[in-house]
Amino acid sequence: MFLALKELKHGKFRFLMIGVITVLIAWLVFILSGLGNGLSTLSAATFKNMDAHYVTFEEGSRASMSRSLLNESLADELEKADDVSAATGMGATMGTVLNESSSADKEKVDVAILGITPGNFLEPDVIEGNPLQANEPLEVIANDTLKKKGFEIGDTLKIEGSLEKMKIVGFVENETYNHLPAIFTTLDKWRTIQFAAPGSDKGIKNPVNAIMLQGENIDSEKLNKLFKNTETVTKSTAVQGMPGYKEENGTIMMMLAFLLAISTFVLGVFFYVLTLQKSNQFGILKAIGASNLFLGKAIVAQVFLLSFVSIVVGILLTYGTALILPDGMPFSLDFKLVIIYSLLLLVISILSSVISVRKVTKIDPLQAIGRLE
Amino acid sequence: MSGIQFKNVSKLYQQGENQVLALDDVSLTVEQGEFIAVIGPSGSGKSTFLAIAGALLQSSEGEVILNGKNLNQLNPKDLARLRLEEIGFILQTSNLVPYLNVLEQLLVVKKMAGKVTKEDKKFAKDLLENLGLAAKLKKFPDQLSGGERQRTAIARAFINNPSIILADEPTASLDSKRAHEVVQLIAKETKTRNKAAIMVTHDERMLEYCDKVYRMEDGRLKHDNSFKHENSKRLSTIG
Ligand SMILES: Nc1ncnc2c1ncn2[C@@H]1O[C@H](COP(=O)(O)OP(=O)(O)OP(=O)(O)O)[C@@H](O)[C@H]1O
Ligand SMILES: [Mg+2]
Repeated sequence: MFLALKELKHGKFRFLMIGVITVLIAWLVFILSGLGNGLSTLSAATFKNMDAHYVTFEEGSRASMSRSLLNESLADELEKADDVSAATGMGATMGTVLNESSSADKEKVDVAILGITPGNFLEPDVIEGNPLQANEPLEVIANDTLKKKGFEIGDTLKIEGSLEKMKIVGFVENETYNHLPAIFTTLDKWRTIQFAAPGSDKGIKNPVNAIMLQGENIDSEKLNKLFKNTETVTKSTAVQGMPGYKEENGTIMMMLAFLLAISTFVLGVFFYVLTLQKSNQFGILKAIGASNLFLGKAIVAQVFLLSFVSIVVGILLTYGTALILPDGMPFSLDFKLVIIYSLLLLVISILSSVISVRKVTKIDPLQAIGRLE
Repeated sequence: MSGIQFKNVSKLYQQGENQVLALDDVSLTVEQGEFIAVIGPSGSGKSTFLAIAGALLQSSEGEVILNGKNLNQLNPKDLARLRLEEIGFILQTSNLVPYLNVLEQLLVVKKMAGKVTKEDKKFAKDLLENLGLAAKLKKFPDQLSGGERQRTAIARAFINNPSIILADEPTASLDSKRAHEVVQLIAKETKTRNKAAIMVTHDERMLEYCDKVYRMEDGRLKHDNSFKHENSKRLSTIG
């Protein structure tokens, strides 16, 4: 620590430059993971927010709502199964809505229309207005992104493909599905929109896309055997089954992985060159009795300090950037993720200094003797 | 027994097909309180000799006994420890750590051994004061003159209270006035602190401060008597 601190203090400019590089790398990692996280939130926030543990789909649908169709009465049967504390059907469809109120501009908005049973565990809490009512089929609650598009409580909505007019009674937040703002309505209302074409319900009575289950210890294998033509998966598997979710996430993860791998290399080379420059000096220190441990500790301590400060600056920069990002940009970076990536970066930079430490252990103290510069 | 002893030490450098016998059957004893010089033409083996004495290089044959310890029998870790605790090196001027100030140059050696205590700090300051560096404690190497740097290196060699002092051409980069001062200081510190000291030098004018002079030629070390008379005269005036 002694040598590390003294050298940092003495060679401010040199270390400032390396620090700046590390800050930039950290910044990039955080921004990228924030954007990636934002994107995946956008694609599945509603699913992730739901207070459910398992999801039952039609067999063969590979955990995708859009490929699955079940009878709602199955929910009652599932609820009686072992370890299932609650079960309820849900339907999802993509649609376009138009604000019919005279004051607003006539702009169409793409939304996800989600059918649920009012008042049960799938219904998110409203931040403004009132929740859904079972006896008011023409009322909906909408994600607050619609508010930014000029919708207000009490506004009339026209859903394309349906003749009925609906009314916004409440707003919820962070409810997006398949990258679109979510609109919650009753299952019955959802059915009239989704299955407007005769026969599109394949003859299933009271169809739903999936049944959400509560119960942490559910044995999905058992449920699969017990209920023919169904497959029950964990909620996270269901999230993976969202259209495009896996591909999107894969791309972001790949970018992050490459970024981290390349940063390791860049930082490693930096520290290595720095160490090479000082190899004569390390030789002298060894000649006067410094052990490999002492010098190794100095190098690692220096890299640790430098990376730590740089990462902290990187975090501040990231939150600063988040403030000025445009509104529609999906950016979400929770603190846990920041900590995880910070630790990862810290570990990576320390690992990258290991080749420098190895180099130092190989320096022969003999080179200090009999040499005049 | 204390001090340093070479018993029939040889060093053979292997360089591909060629072999260089850099040290040839060297025997010598340096007692505590003794300051000896080794002179000789370039390539005669002086640096090799010093490296072996300083536990930086292993001999091919023969034994080196340092304070009763046979250097051939120690592992690299113990050798580093021994260099730290029992040997003080005085190297070239540029061999200070560039980002440490004069006082820290000494304290870092203490750090290598563990913690720096208040007494260590005081001892370091006393040493530097003795060497006329009291006003330069906070100066960095690039703010010092060649002589001041070399004096810092001398203080550093003494900080751990080692029993052996090894100096490799300590005057090579100094003008003759500074050179005299520096060697005089090494001689004085060696005497007052009762060390065994070996200095390798090209500069024959420096020999007057030494108790014995050895001449190295083609790897063989011979006692040189021709300086004896002057030495004893000079020594009595230092005391
Ligand atoms: N690592 C080595 N490998 C092979 N030969 C070496 C090696 N180091 C030194 N030698 C040879 O050993 C001999 C003695 O070298 P040494 O460096 O001890 O001489 P020196 O007396 O210190 O010379 P100078 O006064 O020029 O510093 C020389 O012939 C040199 O070429
Ligand atoms: Mg030499």
